[in-house]
Amino acid sequence: MRRISFLMHAATIMAFGLGSVQAYAAEPALASVAVFPSAVQLHTSRGRQSFVVQATYADGITRDVTADAKCTLADPKLVRLDKNVLYPTADGKTTLTVAYGGQQISIPVQVKDAKVDRPISFHLDVMPVFMKAGCNSGACHGAARGKDGFRLSLFGFDADGDHYRLTHEMSGRRIDLAIPANSLLLQKATGAVPHTGGQRFTKDSELYQTLMRWLDAGAPTDPPTVAKPVSLELLPHNAVLDGKGSKQQMVALATYSDGTVRDVTPLALFLSNNETSAKIDADGAVTAGDRGEAFVMARFATFTVGSQIIVLPKGLKFEWPKVAETNYIDKLVDAKLKKLRIDPSPICNDETFLRRAYLDIIGLMPTPEEYTRFMNNSSPKKRAELVDELLSRKEFAEVWVMKWAELLQIRSSQQVSYKATLLYYNWLQERIERNEPMDQLVQELLGSNGGTFKNPATNYYQVETDTLKVSEDVAQVFMGMRIQCAQCHNHPFDRWTTDDYYSFAAFFSQIGRKGTDDPRETIIFNSGGGEVTSPVTHQVMKPKFLGGSTPNVQGKDRREVLAKWLASPKNPYFATNLANIVWAHFFGVGIIDPVDDVRISNPASNPELLRELGKRFTAYHYNFKKLVRDICTSQAYQRASETNASNAGDGRNFSHALIRRIKAEMFLDCITEVTDTKNKFAGLPLGARAVEIADGNNSNYFLTTFGRATRETVCSCEVKLEPTLSQSLHLLNGEDTTQKIQAGNLIGRRLQAKHTPEQIVDELYIRCLARKPTAQEKQKLLTGLSAYKDRQKGLEDIFWALLNSREFMFNH
Amino acid sequence: MRYERKCTSTSFPRSAWERTVGRSAARNENDPARQSYRDAECPDVRSHTERGNEGAVGCLCAVVVILSFVASMPAASPSIGTILPRGAQRGKDVTLVFSGGRLSDTKEVVFYSAGFTVKKLQVVNDGQVKATIHIADDCRLGEHAMRLRTATGLSELQTFFVGALPEIDEKEPNNDFKAPQKIPLNVTVNGVVDSEDVDYFSFEAKKGQRITAEIEGMRLGDTFFDPYVAILDSKRFELVASDDAPLVGQDCIASVVIPADGTYVIQVRDSSYGGNGACHYRLHVGTFPRPTAIVPAGGKLGEEVEVRFLGDPAGPFTQKFKLPTKVEPKFGLFAQTKDGIAPSPNPFRLSEYGNVIEAEPNDTHATATPAALPVALNGVIDKPGDVDCFRFKMKKGETYDVHCYARQLGSPLDSVITIAAFNGGAIAANDDSNGPDSYLRFTAPADGEYVLSITDHLHKGGPTYFYRVEFTPPRAQVTLSIPKVALFSQERQTIVVPRGNRYATLISGARADFGGPLKIGATGLPKGVTIASEDMAANLDVVPVLFEAAADAPIAGSLADITARLDDPKQKVNVPSSFLQTAELVISGPGQSVYWKHDVDREAVAVTEAAPFKINIVEPKVPLVQNGSMNLRVVAERKPGFKAPITVQMLFNPPGVGSATAATIPEGQNETVIPMNAAGNAEVRKWKIVVIGQATVGNGPVWVASQLATLQIAPPYVNFAMERAAAEQGKATEIFCKIQQNTPFPGKAKVQLLGLPNKVTAPVLEITKDTKELAFKVTVDKTSPAGQHKNLFCQVVITQNGEPIVENTGGTELRIDVPLKVAAAPKPQAAAKPEPAKPMQKRLSRLEQLRLEQQEREKAMQEGKKPGPR
Repeated sequence: MRRISFLMHAATIMAFGLGSVQAYAAEPALASVAVFPSAVQLHTSRGRQSFVVQATYADGITRDVTADAKCTLADPKLVRLDKNVLYPTADGKTTLTVAYGGQQISIPVQVKDAKVDRPISFHLDVMPVFMKAGCNSGACHGAARGKDGFRLSLFGFDADGDHYRLTHEMSGRRIDLAIPANSLLLQKATGAVPHTGGQRFTKDSELYQTLMRWLDAGAPTDPPTVAKPVSLELLPHNAVLDGKGSKQQMVALATYSDGTVRDVTPLALFLSNNETSAKIDADGAVTAGDRGEAFVMARFATFTVGSQIIVLPKGLKFEWPKVAETNYIDKLVDAKLKKLRIDPSPICNDETFLRRAYLDIIGLMPTPEEYTRFMNNSSPKKRAELVDELLSRKEFAEVWVMKWAELLQIRSSQQVSYKATLLYYNWLQERIERNEPMDQLVQELLGSNGGTFKNPATNYYQVETDTLKVSEDVAQVFMGMRIQCAQCHNHPFDRWTTDDYYSFAAFFSQIGRKGTDDPRETIIFNSGGGEVTSPVTHQVMKPKFLGGSTPNVQGKDRREVLAKWLASPKNPYFATNLANIVWAHFFGVGIIDPVDDVRISNPASNPELLRELGKRFTAYHYNFKKLVRDICTSQAYQRASETNASNAGDGRNFSHALIRRIKAEMFLDCITEVTDTKNKFAGLPLGARAVEIADGNNSNYFLTTFGRATRETVCSCEVKLEPTLSQSLHLLNGEDTTQKIQAGNLIGRRLQAKHTPEQIVDELYIRCLARKPTAQEKQKLLTGLSAYKDRQKGLEDIFWALLNSREFMFNH
Repeated sequence: MRYERKCTSTSFPRSAWERTVGRSAARNENDPARQSYRDAECPDVRSHTERGNEGAVGCLCAVVVILSFVASMPAASPSIGTILPRGAQRGKDVTLVFSGGRLSDTKEVVFYSAGFTVKKLQVVNDGQVKATIHIADDCRLGEHAMRLRTATGLSELQTFFVGALPEIDEKEPNNDFKAPQKIPLNVTVNGVVDSEDVDYFSFEAKKGQRITAEIEGMRLGDTFFDPYVAILDSKRFELVASDDAPLVGQDCIASVVIPADGTYVIQVRDSSYGGNGACHYRLHVGTFPRPTAIVPAGGKLGEEVEVRFLGDPAGPFTQKFKLPTKVEPKFGLFAQTKDGIAPSPNPFRLSEYGNVIEAEPNDTHATATPAALPVALNGVIDKPGDVDCFRFKMKKGETYDVHCYARQLGSPLDSVITIAAFNGGAIAANDDSNGPDSYLRFTAPADGEYVLSITDHLHKGGPTYFYRVEFTPPRAQVTLSIPKVALFSQERQTIVVPRGNRYATLISGARADFGGPLKIGATGLPKGVTIASEDMAANLDVVPVLFEAAADAPIAGSLADITARLDDPKQKVNVPSSFLQTAELVISGPGQSVYWKHDVDREAVAVTEAAPFKINIVEPKVPLVQNGSMNLRVVAERKPGFKAPITVQMLFNPPGVGSATAATIPEGQNETVIPMNAAGNAEVRKWKIVVIGQATVGNGPVWVASQLATLQIAPPYVNFAMERAAAEQGKATEIFCKIQQNTPFPGKAKVQLLGLPNKVTAPVLEITKDTKELAFKVTVDKTSPAGQHKNLFCQVVITQNGEPIVENTGGTELRIDVPLKVAAAPKPQAAAKPEPAKPMQKRLSRLEQLRLEQQEREKAMQEGKKPGPR
């Protein structure tokens, strides 16, 4: 029981910080006014364009002032203005002038074919109806087997298929060309006949009119010349709303392959990733809720785009504290904090920084000697010096070898022998240790050919042999994209279509594998043959970079072509993705989080920062050591974990340090280090560190309990940092604490060297927590110790309590 | 570092040994005999997967050894697990320790190659034999195969290595780079890599000296061991390292020209830090030449050839060799200069045809090196992307086998060969028909010139990427072997014939480019041993062969040549035959992959002490008919006092014939039967069959065989056509059979209906050779299962010559219905119904019955009554 009481005395850190003082100032002045869109095109008599006027104030607050602005047309004969929507009346060019708060803005308006009606298009007009009305969502007819006997492709990825199902499947049931209004399609949608989905729209809605027009026209499909949407824009790009109930109207614009731009606000589907802060209705009007940040999205055709909405408490007065900024990271992090009106936590003390830097950079605790040296160093640059020193240590590379080994799934299996695993790991280790630029490493890896022993990088294609899975893994690891959804249907929350998916997979369709004279070895080579066929269109897919161009692969190794693009500045995701992975390691949360789930609906918390990190990483020639230096010397990294009133709720904007559990391998290494013991892992010499284990299959109870990655998938979720009961029990009762304390006999040795209990308690604190005990802690512990007959036993119990303290288990 | 070996707990023989006979030795740990016993024993800690079945057998045998050693009555074949040391220097005497079981009556060490003289053979105990052997000065270097022959059998094949250099032992501790074992140059170190063990050896060398460290590890065939070697300078900088080398497979060769005078260190370990007490290695360190490539890689039998050795760090050199006049298995050439001789050979092809060596540039058709077929093309893909072309003439329809030999001979090349018309497109191509090597058979589509081009599959290349492409006319040949009893096992691969007894084995023949029956023979059998078999049928690739030893045959052994001759007067083809026996020595994952094996071309045969039992087949006087069965009687002749049970089994089942896996003649009894059956398509002819029997005699199993007996397969005597039947539960029905008589038989035959469902009965009926029809009255019980029962058939038992001929014939279905729940009304009808049917004397078929019932229903309807149940 005494042991437990120590646990309560020891390590009382993780108290919480001070609230921030917030002052109130006078009403800020109007800074600027903007009109969205910045130009208007009206085509055909069916053209229309809504616009919004956004005013920005000196304190950054924005207001939707569309209703209050004075809008005048230079030539009202050409265009009719109804509230905030422009309709064509005659061809020509004019300007729309918007005046608000003494500022004036003019935007050009162009009208073409004002007297011509646009023929109805199945792809452009009808398909959006199904999405807007929710007909083709996964819960309704978009389900894999449809609903109530009727199937539509999920979010409309297969328009031709949908046309067939509407017009030809169960011929005569769904549409009635003789009396279009009698079509079951319309009757169901309007709720005129029983419909499980209820009424989707009314007879007087635009959606209904569109379907009627299509049926009146004879339910045609599109001629191949019909323009396709090529991009989507949601305006304005951001808004800072002042208090609950503030509103902001959004405008969705689609650009088509013929160069025309259409207002698709009535057809787009609007979503918000944080409804508590910002709700968006079917018409695209955002209503502010609680303080916070939201990302509102518009989905149209295969596109999803979003805008950032920040909601602040009404009338919040905020003054940015003057904090130091080391580098670009601080500028960008602080810019975001300013926008959110969040006070960052102050810089942590030296002891916390020391422990944090050691754990993050080299995965070990500082030794008492290192602690003393750092604490006694009076150089003002000692933190930066420490970072440089740690970066040059071998253990830094080992941490990243382990990280990459997780992403590359280095583990033995039926297909991959232990020898191949070891060679693969050594290959990786060699490159990371000599600081090989990541683009080179990735190009070497993805373009690898040869035997899995002779060129161990080829094991990448032996760990996973399924073409589609390989391409999914590549996208997830090197671009942070999960494209799995697009194998069966267009990605519902991202831009990826099945075409994108299979075109990307086509890069991996020509991997040849053959045996050689060693049964454990496989030769990976470019077979020069083999294609990927899309199951939707049944067409052979040409290799196309994900989100990029279609390269010429004739006579080339497709993987080499891909690797050259993927690991280069031409791929917009490569540098940012790697930078984000590095960032997440040091902050416990990615700028995009999880790091391998980059998608439009999971936006970066600080896109500018991510972009800049990517840019720097590219400029550093993909040398991530430099990036780590930038990160670890930034003020953002050095912030204390204690929060204040304004940043207590922030977990994504780096206003304070997050408390993170130490990763399994490093945690075991730390316990081993502080107890002065040695571990034995299969295939490694006695005393090897857990981070050095080459094979993902080689684990022990401790590592498994603390969530070591099994490397069975590339998912960042493989590493588990959630606390579990068995973890606590293992630390309380398991062999890795009590036995290690005994085996290391640190206390015994110290007592033999005539150290006083006080000195020993000091050392234990420094070893485990990189700090000295507080006077209160020390007094309580020494009092508790006096109750022991056997001093060594008592001190060992203190040691045990420290190892079980939360402060030890967490990096804070 | 050599950790304390913990073989006591894992190796049964040793602990058992200590418990029984080894006590006195166990008392004295310094006893050299005991010490070497332990050394010999520990390496036998091999998992079953590594050693295939042999490990399991060895373990089992060990139990038997110990139990019976006390009884001291050895009678079964010996077994050897290891031979230590694993190698020795030629020109010297060496004492080999053979460890295994049942060795106490060892008579001879059987060598497959020349150069060994046994000076002394000493049985230490049942588990160990020591042989002092002189190795001749001119003994071939490298791997040699041997067995032990005892008075009662032959052991497995094991290997032993002969080197040219003086031998020293590894001395632990040597696992610290800073405290290596000092060794002189030009020695062979015998060592062990224990778990995670790293061994360091240091040597002094002068600038410009060529130093090579070559390891025999996997090649020793002891256990799965993938060694790694590196030569480091005194600052730990690696000069050269080798894990695998194409020339030596998983073994390694590190070769370097020393950059400066000084001390250098050799590191030896497992490539993935594995290892165990059985991971022996032989490390050859010295100044000897170590080329890794050879051009040409083959030559004409009996001729002198000058070869160019490549890949040695000191540069290429040439050497002349006089080639043997006969093809030898695993032939290779040993590079030799004034600095020494390579420890292992460069594999070398012996062929009937001459060589063409490429003349660069020959990358295109225009510059192709000319050749005249048949020939062997030799060269090197000397840089990445290199293509070598050879140009030759062929006549339309002319056919050649085109074999590329590269990886098979230790070249890193992964060949791809293409044959094209001269200045035309490709006609044939191959990458990997023979492992990484290429093979194709090419027939010229027209008279003209053709070009063979060869390149690396991954467009690699280098000075050691040598190749040899042999163009040979397709030639009839047969390769004989003894099929394995179990995968990768050496069990029953030898022929051990007890005096005055018989032994039988299957011989299989892989025919290439011909067909026809083969007569099997043997030369060089021990005195008093004869061989007998019928021809291997043209449609079969296996035949049982009987060996018989005269009662007065001397106890002796030999390596015999097993031969086959095409026994078809119509075919005038010369078919050379060869015999191939493979001992798979190292098996490991993935799956069961063979990592090291040893091939021999002769069969070990031994005459052993008489066995206390013989077995005979009582030759059946009736045929086994198609779709029939038979109980083959096997009788034993026992010597007085021998009572052990004898397990017998058919050695060979003719195609379409099945037999019980085994039958046992119980303890003290003299007879058993082996149930046999023949499928409907079993070939109708007479076969020679043989039964083999095994009993535990003394300390282990002894195998003998019966005489070759005749088994006739005949067509069925009768054929039944059976009609389908149906009945309700609790009712009776008839099953009607029409009989086709094929072969007249005497007397009455019994016919039984088989395959009836539960509680359905039918009487046994009788037929004669004249019966044409048969009807079984079938009674269905109320509880018999309802449903369609499909497997009804008739078993006919005909008695001829006093023996039964059992035949299964016919086949039909019986449907059992649940009685319909009928309303009360029809009941009186049902009672009345059978009455009019009774007078019907003619048997009605099922269909006719149904029709009749329908008619009756209709009639009843017309009469205004309610319809019946159907």
